[in-house]
Amino acid sequence: MADNKIYWSGLEELDRTPEFERIESQEFPAERPVDEFLSDDRLQRANTGRRDFLKFMGFSVTAATLAACETPVVKSIPYTNKPEEITPGVANYYASAHYDGHDFVNVLVKTREGRPIFVKSNTETGFGRVNAKVNASVLGLYDSARLQQPHLNGEATDWASLDAAVQAGLKAEGRKVLLTGTVMSPSAKRAIAAFTGTTGAEHIQCDAVSYSAAVEAMSVDYGRRVFPSYDFAQAETVVMLNADFLGTWGDHVWYTNEWSKGRRPENGGMSRLHAFESGMSLTGSNADRRTRVKPSEQGRVAAALLRELTGEGSAVQLDEAVMAAVKSAAADLKRSGAKGLLVAGDNDLATQRIASAVNRAIGAVGTTMKLNENAGLFQGDDKAFSTLVADMKAGQVSTLIVDGINPAYHSMEAEGFKAGLEKVGMSVSTALFADETASRCTAMAPNPHWLEGWNDLQIEADRVELVQPAIQALYNSRPMGESLLVWAGQGQDWYTYLRQTHSAGYTAAAMYTDQDWNTGVHNGFLAMAAGEQNQAPAFSGADLQGALRSVASRKGGAFELDLYRKVTVGDGQQAGNPMLQETPDPITKTTWDNYVTMARPDMEAMGLNTYIAQEDPASMVKVTVGDKTMELPAFPQPGQTPGTLGIALGYGRGEGSEAIGKAAYQVGEGGDHLADVNGNLVPIGKNAFSLVSGMDGIPSRVAYDVSIEATGETYPLACTQIQHTYMGRDSVVKETSLESFLAEKSVKRGDASWNKTMGLNVHDDINGDGEINALDKKAAGEFDLWHDHPVEGIGHRWGMAIDLTSCIGCSACVTACHIENNVPVVGKDEVRRHRDMHWMRIDRFYASDWDMERGEAEGVGVISTYGKMEEPGANPQTVHMPMMCQHCNHAPCETVCPVAATTHSNEGVNQMTYNRCIGTRYCANNCPFKVRRFNWFHYPGYDKFQNFNPAQDAIQRMVLNPDVVVRSRGVMEKCSLCVQRTQSAKLEAKKAGAPMVDGSAITACAEACPTNAITFGDLNDTSSEVRSTYDNNRTYHALEEVGVQPNVAYLTKVRNTPNS
Amino acid sequence: MQQEAAIREPLILGNKTYKDITDDVVGPIEGKAPLGWKVMITITSLIAFYGVGCILYLIGTGIGVWGLNKTVGWAWDITNFVWWVGIGHAGTLISAVLLLFRQKWRMAINRSAEAMTIFAVIMAAVFPGIHMGRIWVSYWVLPLPNQFGSLWVNFNSPLLWDVFAISTYFSVSLVFWYIGLIPDFATIRDRMTKPLQKKIYGLLSFGWSGRAKNWTRFEEVSLVLAGIATPLVFSVHSIVSMDFATSVIPGWHTTIFPPYFVSGAVFSGFAMVQTLLLIMRKTMKLENYIHTKHVEYMNIVIIVTGSIVGVAYLTELFISWYSGVEYESYAFINRFSGPYSMSYWIMMTCNVISPQLFWFKKIRRSLVATFALSIVVNIGMWFERYVIIVTSLHRDYDPSSWGEFYATNIDVGVFIGTLGIFFTLFLLFARFFPVLALNELKTILKSSGENHKAIQAQSNKKA
Repeated sequence: MADNKIYWSGLEELDRTPEFERIESQEFPAERPVDEFLSDDRLQRANTGRRDFLKFMGFSVTAATLAACETPVVKSIPYTNKPEEITPGVANYYASAHYDGHDFVNVLVKTREGRPIFVKSNTETGFGRVNAKVNASVLGLYDSARLQQPHLNGEATDWASLDAAVQAGLKAEGRKVLLTGTVMSPSAKRAIAAFTGTTGAEHIQCDAVSYSAAVEAMSVDYGRRVFPSYDFAQAETVVMLNADFLGTWGDHVWYTNEWSKGRRPENGGMSRLHAFESGMSLTGSNADRRTRVKPSEQGRVAAALLRELTGEGSAVQLDEAVMAAVKSAAADLKRSGAKGLLVAGDNDLATQRIASAVNRAIGAVGTTMKLNENAGLFQGDDKAFSTLVADMKAGQVSTLIVDGINPAYHSMEAEGFKAGLEKVGMSVSTALFADETASRCTAMAPNPHWLEGWNDLQIEADRVELVQPAIQALYNSRPMGESLLVWAGQGQDWYTYLRQTHSAGYTAAAMYTDQDWNTGVHNGFLAMAAGEQNQAPAFSGADLQGALRSVASRKGGAFELDLYRKVTVGDGQQAGNPMLQETPDPITKTTWDNYVTMARPDMEAMGLNTYIAQEDPASMVKVTVGDKTMELPAFPQPGQTPGTLGIALGYGRGEGSEAIGKAAYQVGEGGDHLADVNGNLVPIGKNAFSLVSGMDGIPSRVAYDVSIEATGETYPLACTQIQHTYMGRDSVVKETSLESFLAEKSVKRGDASWNKTMGLNVHDDINGDGEINALDKKAAGEFDLWHDHPVEGIGHRWGMAIDLTSCIGCSACVTACHIENNVPVVGKDEVRRHRDMHWMRIDRFYASDWDMERGEAEGVGVISTYGKMEEPGANPQTVHMPMMCQHCNHAPCETVCPVAATTHSNEGVNQMTYNRCIGTRYCANNCPFKVRRFNWFHYPGYDKFQNFNPAQDAIQRMVLNPDVVVRSRGVMEKCSLCVQRTQSAKLEAKKAGAPMVDGSAITACAEACPTNAITFGDLNDTSSEVRSTYDNNRTYHALEEVGVQPNVAYLTKVRNTPNS
Repeated sequence: MQQEAAIREPLILGNKTYKDITDDVVGPIEGKAPLGWKVMITITSLIAFYGVGCILYLIGTGIGVWGLNKTVGWAWDITNFVWWVGIGHAGTLISAVLLLFRQKWRMAINRSAEAMTIFAVIMAAVFPGIHMGRIWVSYWVLPLPNQFGSLWVNFNSPLLWDVFAISTYFSVSLVFWYIGLIPDFATIRDRMTKPLQKKIYGLLSFGWSGRAKNWTRFEEVSLVLAGIATPLVFSVHSIVSMDFATSVIPGWHTTIFPPYFVSGAVFSGFAMVQTLLLIMRKTMKLENYIHTKHVEYMNIVIIVTGSIVGVAYLTELFISWYSGVEYESYAFINRFSGPYSMSYWIMMTCNVISPQLFWFKKIRRSLVATFALSIVVNIGMWFERYVIIVTSLHRDYDPSSWGEFYATNIDVGVFIGTLGIFFTLFLLFARFFPVLALNELKTILKSSGENHKAIQAQSNKKA
């Protein structure tokens, strides 16, 4: 049966052979002779054969490859205890204030998960509007070149050792000097007083860019050594003499918005701006009448104005054209009376005193020009500084503490200062970087970045602005005030000291309970009790004849020089900030360099290249000022006075390869830093501060006699715009005069002569005259190939309006957009190749002296006329036109994408889906505005960009906005109308269960605009500001006849040009 | 039996017999590769490798290695694409349209023209691929079912139409060419003595047995395919032209483009056929099959299409003025007087003036002149696309964005590389494939062979 079946494993088992039984009895098989095998010493001698080697190698490589296949684990650590105010994904804003020696402005700092990522103006409770430098400065916070701890004799050290060394130094014999920029902080002033009182040190203030002549003039005329507070909002006529008050001069972050308040044509009138200058400044480009004068004539223009107004002085020598302009300006000033204003930019006492006399003559003192009692900006004392340098060189200075300025770079006596520094026993710098001054000092006691520490600032008597930290200090830094207190032996925590400044009995117990303080921190300022001020002190009666004689006798040489500043790089403090370097200068549209601006006829006479483009480099010239020479490329600047040159300050930082940031140095095409023959890094541009010369001890940024020669060499410049006129295309730019505007102020949109709806001829009897002819026109907007997107009146429809009258071209929107949207920085070589990535650009158009009518009238022929129209006029009018994606309702880009990566949202926005994009670039080709930007390379990773792209730096990467994706190589990108902001505002409204409020969603550019030229909002919201602009008769769509129906509109530029 | 007038120039010269034709065509395949061929293929494949290297560098680094910029988003890439597609037009035109019109002279040239077409279309297809920023997702242009939900291609986009047009054209051309090759492969198979080659040609010939039934089907399929291919000749380049014509860019947005592009394509295609065949007939000793008469016929096509192209150029100019649109008229004024006017005048000279020389019979029948002019025409047609693409883009609506395009070494390298790949493929074809449709040629030997014409002429005289 089945159960007695027997299975054998083999015949051996069946047969029960002895061999089988022996094996069966053993549970384990016989011992393997492992020891014997291993102890075989032939094995030791055996070589690994080729085959074995290959096998091992193959195995190892495979194993290593497989091991490498695992995705790297990135750990994100959640908060153990969530800070109350931080919700991941939700931004926090902190009120703060910014002051760097020039730009004094209240701000709101946006932080995400504890990282400051954006700075905007605090328009609700604050002063001034951020400019490009301020909103880009957030990048500087994360600069990995910043000093990370105190240093002594070039070695990293701790604070205790540094303090001991400084205190020892302070005990030495000799002058002890604390050298700072203008101090605006009450607490710092208190600490300085304590420090100087205890240690016997002196305090000297010196500004990077000196305004001492203006301050001195006030001192002479009114006995107050202050920089006047100008009220541009009230001014009906402004005359500027080389004072770029919209871009760089004075307290421009305050002036811009104020000035724009008087430039709204809808209000029935506009202030008028007369400009007299040699180079084209940002302010000059916005002038209603701009006159070209030479630097040596500035004083005489002021004198002529004075003579026109008061008859004072004798007739001055000026060109007829200049004289006519002076008469026109004087007439306007006279008419405006106390509502007129003259501002002069030259750091020259004679000119400033005459300017002051003009303001006095029209009665502006106390109205448009106020003199505060408390010292404000620009308190630098150049003479004290000169004496200090002399003493340093003589070895009489034992201790020097430098804060906030970099005299080894920007002083006209930089060489002397550097030489003197070597003889100072103990020199201390509190700079954030080991810059030109700090790297030569014995000790470096780094300050925190302004976003990292507490501070207070005061410019007006009735309020103190508070600076609060938006992030824990990244590095081991200490505020200058605290350092001073420690060195004075009064060591105290800076925060407590600051609090005590404002409430004497403050103790830590009151840290959170002082409601005034809490409100102050929230709002960004503490209100101060201030009595009634006399802002118009009596004139001292000082004699003006010397000044008038001085300006009358000035003679210029063949060439004169004006050293100006750019709105981007300024005085060079942020030379290592790649976003500022890459932001094109609003006038020349050139990035990453400085150059000599010249008038075209001068360049032609010298045989220099006047067409600068990708493969058309600029010609190098050698400029000689006194005994100093400088080689720079020459740039043809329309509007430049013939016989004058302009060079921007703020370049040439880091001539000794100082660690001031990777982006401050030139890179080669491969992305590595260039090095000169000595192995030094090559700075960007040249340091024009070295050309500043003293006039009576006051640094003068003009030179009346310089010479220039061509060197025969060339140098590439990277310009974002190479065609400078708009070729008579008045559907791109529309402009009119105030007169014509007022004449048709109330006509319906589309009917005004200066903004007529574009009509296209159709083969249909539209006008009903029974004939089909050229009169049969249909509005361009009525032609429809497609069904409209159902956005009108349904849900939201985002739109934007840009007022060309208000836009001054300052480029704050460009940097704001750059930071908000993680726009890649691509470097000079790529910009030169016309591949800048700016989503938001400002087109700067010059008027040409030619148009088709003139060509026809003069019988020049169409082709030649077009050629002539490419040339800007010699002193052209300028238009600044912000340009970004126009979010067309009939977008040409959307139809051509083969994979539908760019589509229209149901809120009217043209959206770009990066991860669907395959990069055919068809959309960019088909864009009439050319606003689409392609990722030509992997910017966050490719070597070419290693030395300036923030995304390639482990620390700088923290500035990236987490709400906006960093785009990969090969995809198209463009303005999204800050969709991340509208989405979050929508979410907020949804959470609140209420409809969105106009203004709750705002784009970065609109937010940054200091003149409110950009309005953003919901076009479907009938009460929104942007909706109302659509009914404004100045509103038009650029390139209307293409029929793309943009959601971005422009408002016709209105100029208040004088008739005579 | 077909008849042809005795006074017509014979299409096959020399006293050829059927066997002579077979020997002449198949002989080179059976023999050893000549030194000249080896030298040439070495050179072309080196160039091809250089081109492949450039392409790999481009894909590895980014489109930025080309000279494109924010204003000019297409330049050499799409110029080369259109140029190659254009060249790829002659083959199908010759085999399909001339077949339908019963033009017997096509038999000597259709095989190589079709091979040229296929290789040119392959080269053309390279560019839309590599010009993409992210070639690794290029398959997204195909309407494939996907897991992205309802995500689909954009049927409004002319680039998508291109994908369909080019792939259809390529498939049909390939099938048409291959069908024609079958009887010839069979002939090679039958003569081949080496076993491996015999096996390969046996497989390639799909078991062709040469029976009447095979021939009937062969001819029917040829006619059907010719019917399908003929509209493609017109559709492909019409659609390519729509890449430009449907855009809003002045200089691109032109309704004349489809016919203008098609005639331009035939024009350049025939020029390229001339270039290739004039070399091939010499090196492969095919002078008796491809001779002055064939060249003359092709030159006539070149005059006709060249003149159409010339009229198109002038029409564009006229319309740009007549339209009264300032952007349009500026675009054309800029073409002939702006920074790229050199390209414009090269285009005008090469495409409009030079083919007019073919009105002279002497030039039309001169092989040297034809060869020279065929190259001139190809240069001109490359510049035509360059002019259309670059000069229209570099100065369009908004003057602030006006810019210029400068080619980089990689731009040049990729283009030269595709020439290398193309000629390498063509040389391989010349070596291993029957370069003439020998079985088809045999059908006209009795009607259009020189010796037969002579016999016919004598008998006519007697009668």
